[in-house]
Amino acid sequence: MRPWRWLVAVLVATWLLPAAARATDRDGRIRLWHAWRGEEEAALAELLESWDGPTVEVLAVPYDALSSKLGSAIPFGEGPDIFVDSHERLGEYHRRELVADVGDAFEDGAYVGEAVDAVTIDGARFGVPLSMKSLALYVNDDLVAVVPGDLEGIAALAETLPEGVVALAYEANNAYAHAAILHACGGRLLNDDDSFGFVGPAAETSIDVVLDLLDAGVVPREADGALVTNLFRSGKAAFAMSGPWLAADLATPEGDAVRYHVEPLPLLARTRGRLQPLLTVESAMLSPSGAARPEVRRFAAFLASSAAAARRAERARAVTARTDTPSADPIVRAFAAQGRAAVPMSTRPAMRAAWEPANKALRKILRGDAPVTEALVEAEHRFAMVMRPPPPARSPTILLVVIGGALMFGAVVLVQRARTRAFREQVRRSIPAWLWVAHAVFVVGVLVVLPLLVGTATSLFGGPPGDVHYVGAANFVDILTARGGPLLASGSFWLTLLVTVLWTVVNVALHVGLGLAFGILLARPVLRMRAMYRVLLIIPWAVPNYVTALAWKGMFHRQFGAVTGATMALGDWLGVTIEPIAWFSRFSTAFTANVATNAWLGFPFMMVVTVAALGSVPKDVLEAAEVDGASRWQRFRHVTLPMIGPSLVPAVMLGAIWTFNMFNVVFLVSGGDPDGTTDILVSEAYRWAFTRDAQYGYAAAYAVLIFVLLSGITRGLDRIGAAAKAKVGP
Amino acid sequence: MVEIRLRAVSKRFGDTVVLDGIDACFPDRSFVVLVGKSGCGKSTLLRCIAGLEEVTEGGIEFGGRDVTRLAPRDRDVAMVFQSYALYPHMTVRRNLAFGLELRKEKRAVIDARVAEVAKLLEIEHLLDRHPRALSGGQRQRVAMGRAIVRRPAVFMFDEPLSNLDPTLRNTVRVDIRRMHDDLGATTIYVTHDQVEAMTLADVLVVLDRGVVQQIGAPIDVYRNPANRFVAGFVGSPAMNFLDGRVVDSTVELAGGVRVPLPEGTPAVAAGKTVVVGIRPHDVRRDPDGTVAFVVELVETLGSHVHVHGRVGDAVFVAAFEGHTGPKRGETLSLVVDRLHLFDPETGVALR
Amino acid sequence: MTPLRRWLQAFAVHGVLLVGVAFALYPVLWVAALAFSGSNAPEPRVLPWPSEPTLAHLTEVVGATADDGGETIWIFGRQLLNSLVVGAATALVGVLIAIPTAYALARFEFLGKRRGMGVLLATQMFPAVASAIPLYLILESAGLLNTRTGLVLCYASTAVPFAIFQLRAAFEAIPVDLEEAAMVDGATRLGAFVRVVLPVARPAIAVTSLFAFMSAYNEFILAATLLDDSKMFTLPVMLQRFVGEYDARWEAFAAGALVVSLPVMGLFYVAQRHLVEGLASGGVKG
Repeated sequence: MRPWRWLVAVLVATWLLPAAARATDRDGRIRLWHAWRGEEEAALAELLESWDGPTVEVLAVPYDALSSKLGSAIPFGEGPDIFVDSHERLGEYHRRELVADVGDAFEDGAYVGEAVDAVTIDGARFGVPLSMKSLALYVNDDLVAVVPGDLEGIAALAETLPEGVVALAYEANNAYAHAAILHACGGRLLNDDDSFGFVGPAAETSIDVVLDLLDAGVVPREADGALVTNLFRSGKAAFAMSGPWLAADLATPEGDAVRYHVEPLPLLARTRGRLQPLLTVESAMLSPSGAARPEVRRFAAFLASSAAAARRAERARAVTARTDTPSADPIVRAFAAQGRAAVPMSTRPAMRAAWEPANKALRKILRGDAPVTEALVEAEHRFAMVMRPPPPARSPTILLVVIGGALMFGAVVLVQRARTRAFREQVRRSIPAWLWVAHAVFVVGVLVVLPLLVGTATSLFGGPPGDVHYVGAANFVDILTARGGPLLASGSFWLTLLVTVLWTVVNVALHVGLGLAFGILLARPVLRMRAMYRVLLIIPWAVPNYVTALAWKGMFHRQFGAVTGATMALGDWLGVTIEPIAWFSRFSTAFTANVATNAWLGFPFMMVVTVAALGSVPKDVLEAAEVDGASRWQRFRHVTLPMIGPSLVPAVMLGAIWTFNMFNVVFLVSGGDPDGTTDILVSEAYRWAFTRDAQYGYAAAYAVLIFVLLSGITRGLDRIGAAAKAKVGP
Repeated sequence: MVEIRLRAVSKRFGDTVVLDGIDACFPDRSFVVLVGKSGCGKSTLLRCIAGLEEVTEGGIEFGGRDVTRLAPRDRDVAMVFQSYALYPHMTVRRNLAFGLELRKEKRAVIDARVAEVAKLLEIEHLLDRHPRALSGGQRQRVAMGRAIVRRPAVFMFDEPLSNLDPTLRNTVRVDIRRMHDDLGATTIYVTHDQVEAMTLADVLVVLDRGVVQQIGAPIDVYRNPANRFVAGFVGSPAMNFLDGRVVDSTVELAGGVRVPLPEGTPAVAAGKTVVVGIRPHDVRRDPDGTVAFVVELVETLGSHVHVHGRVGDAVFVAAFEGHTGPKRGETLSLVVDRLHLFDPETGVALR
Repeated sequence: MTPLRRWLQAFAVHGVLLVGVAFALYPVLWVAALAFSGSNAPEPRVLPWPSEPTLAHLTEVVGATADDGGETIWIFGRQLLNSLVVGAATALVGVLIAIPTAYALARFEFLGKRRGMGVLLATQMFPAVASAIPLYLILESAGLLNTRTGLVLCYASTAVPFAIFQLRAAFEAIPVDLEEAAMVDGATRLGAFVRVVLPVARPAIAVTSLFAFMSAYNEFILAATLLDDSKMFTLPVMLQRFVGEYDARWEAFAAGALVVSLPVMGLFYVAQRHLVEGLASGGVKG
């Protein structure tokens, strides 16, 4: 008893302390959210020391999570008073009323024109520009003596560089970086009329340029940000197209890792256009409640002040949007110059929907999976699907009539039953049992069932947040007809369902197979070191599954992954060169990577269940079989397996449900790559809810369909289980 | 230390009738055995008396006190379960003390009583073990000890011997009866084994399909079974049943064989068809016998032989004293010393 | 069996088990190696051995501090404590809610029992995507947003259905005789439950608590959405920062992952004996 009391006391104490502290001093504070990292975060901390207003409570949020967190907090009066985010999200925030006019925090005439435009919607200022970010050209001064004036010149340098050094490192398959080349060809990602811009001759030319660079080995394939940094830092890239963050990464306590300088992006000789990167203006934005507080506006002005800008420039090499704070740092100056020759990102909400199709198309083309035109047209189609106006509002009369009728019918049935004596007797007998379950019914009802019911109801609604209306079954019709496209097109419900079923079957088969094999070995009557084997084999179960997922993603990483290393080592050993496999660029390999991860994390559960089930097989039956002359395999096949079968079925069922909805692995390992083909239904639903214009109704309809499918499957499995049980007897 | 009275006790689970209007009165300090085939309701009746099942209708009194709606703990009963139901997480000592602890007895009293019972049952050396470390017989003793230690008014046993091996069964059976005689409580004992029932009972209650077939002292039940079910159930080997017809002072069996009605057989209207019940022990080999018995199989038990064979077309078993039996194929002539007549429709004994 | 055959068989058995152990351990060791590696060279590593071993990442992650209204607090310690407290509270609350319900389902017949079980099973099939936003609204109206209490309530209630299934089967496996014996011995129904059933079901309760603890300790989507204060973050939310889309710091992530995983691994090590018992009597047997 003693230790329990002690534990409870500690729990209660740790609970109350921070809560009490919070109740007293949260009001009056200014809450600031940002996504800054490293030096920029340090610069902020320094700035806050010189702030003389109310205490500022700072929260650093991962950049990817910031916007959804804002969207779920501010409408409820929660969340920050002020937050720092990229200006291109402003349009969306404005539509959802997450931001308000910054009023006197905006200092007229202090900022460059691009920055002012970026934070202006319908003539009002919705942000205070802090800094400007764009890509620029990093030049390794040890490798390059004279910087060519155009991209073709850089490509030509490739042949003069030492072995293992690439000419230009940049994230070729990222639409953000590619936009610089697209602009040089006269194209845009999003046109002014909200139509998809990454299609047509300009887009095709820009892609031809990149394909040539890749084919010539000028640019590394499948580079991500980390690789670009690593290549340039280790002197294995002559040029890099990257943002100010690279400069921060190159800095070490002993000075810069390589000798380099930065200059604006070069020309593209083919079109005589200049490479123009996208410009992002990081701005301080105010939530409606924050904008109403003068001290918050004063704080916003403080963050944007000339002194603050100078501090950020000095500490983090941030390029200010102010006209009155020139920096002496050549790198900052270079980025400032690039900023003036950049294309500000569109603030339109449609911009958010353009990224996914553009990125997918780009990757698909650069991998050689699809002809240029076809992929771009497909991307345009995808964009149109997401941007398609929501289904028209319908009158909910039919639904109300159905619900009303069902309620009436239920009431009548209930009243009729209540009249019978047997029913009253049953009620009387049930009351003691109800007392045992009442609290669970309440808690599960409110926190699990109610949200599920509301979620289900959501599936009948459509439209963007803020403009939601009843649409009847339109969401379901859209999903089941693949929005009018071919039924098995990539990203359609039916193809995703096929992938999901394949995913579930393969995984469950592996779990059961590995689990049975190791379980049977562990349950052998005589086994040395049994305890050690059991502990070690259970380990994957003990690792949090997002850690597992990310670790495996790392192991399949093309540059530093263990799997890549193993294949290369194998190649060395055999005396052949094996190209590193880009695991996430083909369906088969990406799917394999997902399956390997999930098999790893799932087999120990089935193994333990097998050991438990084997413990209940009576020895005499096995001995009877042995006397009857059954071999070891026959005994397993005809006695053990049928006897443990029934107790495995519920575990298999549970495993199947978990696998069917195994969001973490798919989302974190392959992330749906390539081209969304490895997405399963749950991750698809997640994308609709959180990355594609917040179409909650559509996502909810997916969830309802998943539920219907799963209950069908479990009912089927249940029947198999019952049959198996009936065969073996009680 | 109480008299137990059952008034029209009925128990139904939904539409299934398990007990149907059971009336009975068990005198104070008596050893009552409820016996019947499995599913006859004997365990349910025991559980109703213990308070583990609620009766659907009727009432139960302990010494004039109505206990029908009382919880088991308020009835002052103790029970030995078929599975023994020892608490696996407690030592033997705690198992014994548990009931007393629940009744908030003083520690000293508890310790003294546990020690006393442990000594009585010779389980002192087991007191600090857990049940899983005990043999079947030891568990059984602990279960009994747990009942005794509380000194209840009523002891209940639910087939307590069925999990023991046969030799142990006999000793424990004797122990149980001795314990009953020493403690002087009322005991209710459920079994399906009629030998146990006959040997232990003061009052034998034969149940079938939820209805009491007969209540009485074992010897009365044996001698004068109330109906064909009781007659067939009590006694070993089981009673032989033959179809017959009363003719004058004889019964004529199917093959035309006439058996004179022994003295003491109740008068039955002539010409009536009856079922004739003859216990294997109630026949004698006698050259003057009227019943021809063809021997098919002989079982030697030492003091007795059981002879299986046929009378006419009907299967018949006879039991003779001694250790030498007839040979297979031999035909014996038998004299019937005692027989029972039953109504062929109702099965009720004709008296 | 000849000695040779027996030897060959043992060899095969241990061979297969060792391959399994290698499969199970390799990713863990690989992460550990990454966590202790100082080199940033983008070179593939096969052997799980750190290159240029260093404790820098570990000390950076574990030693993380934050400024809280002027005073510096050890934020990692705070977050670790949050994780442990939230996990333990979830296990406590979830299992406390589940126990009586599971017992009633195992022992009583009552109106609505079958339907209730159906609903419980159904909750396991409905993906959380659709219910996250309504849940947010409910917590908001209860004033529980951005509190660990709200988080614990969410975790506990989602852990309850599985815990009920587990415990119901465990209770069903306990002979009714035991409770009846206790009731005859003088206990009430509740007394018999508390003094006999619960102690006997301890392995299953321990395993169920472990699962509930894990589900809370490992969760990050809900925590990242509901919590706005880094002093209240749980460790997974902290870890999320290291693997953002635009800058991944794999070494720091690996160091953090290692620290996060250790407590659960420890619990598993302690509970692994019960695991088999708990599952043998437990929910997955249906």
